[in-house]
Amino acid sequence: MTQDDAFSADLLRGHTDTIVLGVLRRGDRYGFEIYKTIRDATGGEHEIKEATLYATYRRLEKDGLVESYWGDETQGGRRKYYRITDAGRAVYGDNVAAWVATRRVIDSLLDVKDTADD
Amino acid sequence: MTENLHIHRLLDEAFAGVELTPDTQDLKEEVRANLIARAAELEESGVSPEEAARRAVAELGDVRELVGESATATETDAAAPRRGWDELMRRHRVKPKPGFVVRAVVWSIAAVVGITLGILGATGVLPIPLGAQIGLFGFASTGLALLVGDSLSQETTMNHPMPQNRAAGYFLATLLGAFGLGFAGLVALGSMPLWGIVFAALGIIASIILFAFLLASQTNRHKAWTRQMVAAEPPNRFEREPETAARFGIYTAVIWIVTFGVIVALIFTVGWWWTPLAFIGGFALMMLVLARMLFASEKR
Repeated sequence: MTQDDAFSADLLRGHTDTIVLGVLRRGDRYGFEIYKTIRDATGGEHEIKEATLYATYRRLEKDGLVESYWGDETQGGRRKYYRITDAGRAVYGDNVAAWVATRRVIDSLLDVKDTADD
Repeated sequence: MTENLHIHRLLDEAFAGVELTPDTQDLKEEVRANLIARAAELEESGVSPEEAARRAVAELGDVRELVGESATATETDAAAPRRGWDELMRRHRVKPKPGFVVRAVVWSIAAVVGITLGILGATGVLPIPLGAQIGLFGFASTGLALLVGDSLSQETTMNHPMPQNRAAGYFLATLLGAFGLGFAGLVALGSMPLWGIVFAALGIIASIILFAFLLASQTNRHKAWTRQMVAAEPPNRFEREPETAARFGIYTAVIWIVTFGVIVALIFTVGWWWTPLAFIGGFALMMLVLARMLFASEKR
């Protein structure tokens, strides 16, 4: 079985903002932690590039969906942590609702049987 | 684990030729910490420190691309919100939900009825027992608190809805504060013995603590378009001319010192009940000066 090859990285990248917000919903993270969470979830491949993520953090922060602050590490470089805001939570909720609705439509159009209800 | 020193050299090389602005400096520091973490991970899996550093930096790709992206992103955004506020308001307009409007009216009526009957009972106009008076103020406080909590969890044209837990926090803080004030009112009107002040103090203090916590931990709730508009807004006169702001500060101090003097003079001549007049006069004068100085017509 090489089902992993069928995985659509483009589809995943289209939801980078929501994915980052989803990771931050579980707690404040710095860049590498976010990157690692996504990498582990996708099975180890670099499905979302680091460069894309840096651009995403910047955009999310400008839109007020996340806030950043520097950690107080004494060695190993100071880490820039990101925290989700109330606006970020609201946008995350909207995006998830849109995704669920879209997935349902695509599933029915593509005649996918096994994910009808969950 | 010892720190991987190769990272710093490779990072400097990667950022060579990049103009050092506060923005890129910021990005460089952020990238540094992430690279160190990534290299440490690679080292744990048995890669030599030098190779780990090299691989971590290589994965990053071209740094100039990162910097370039952030620079162009801010440029286009600065140009975008030049459109009028009215047009944006129209485009992003969110109408209040009918259900919310009905609920808001009901909560308001509950608050007004509760407070009115409570006061009539407490002043002895209506024969309402003390227990029922407390109940009425509790009823009114709940109405007020529901109004606050419900409003905050609504989406508006400019704000995203507040998460339920946080809105519930504001509900509780308002409830405690309003009920505390209700107890204070009952004691002040003589309907309740003095020990009632304990409940008033408990409620109000708990409310202040809760409000302080909620406000201090508050994060952004504005929508992106509102933030851009505010950022594009030209600074007001006090921000552009700090010396005008300083002058206003001195005027304000003078106004309040004079007001204080007038209050003392009034107390010793015509009596203390005239003192609010001096206070109102001082406040009005301060607002006039503020209007003159903050929104003065530009002289060049």
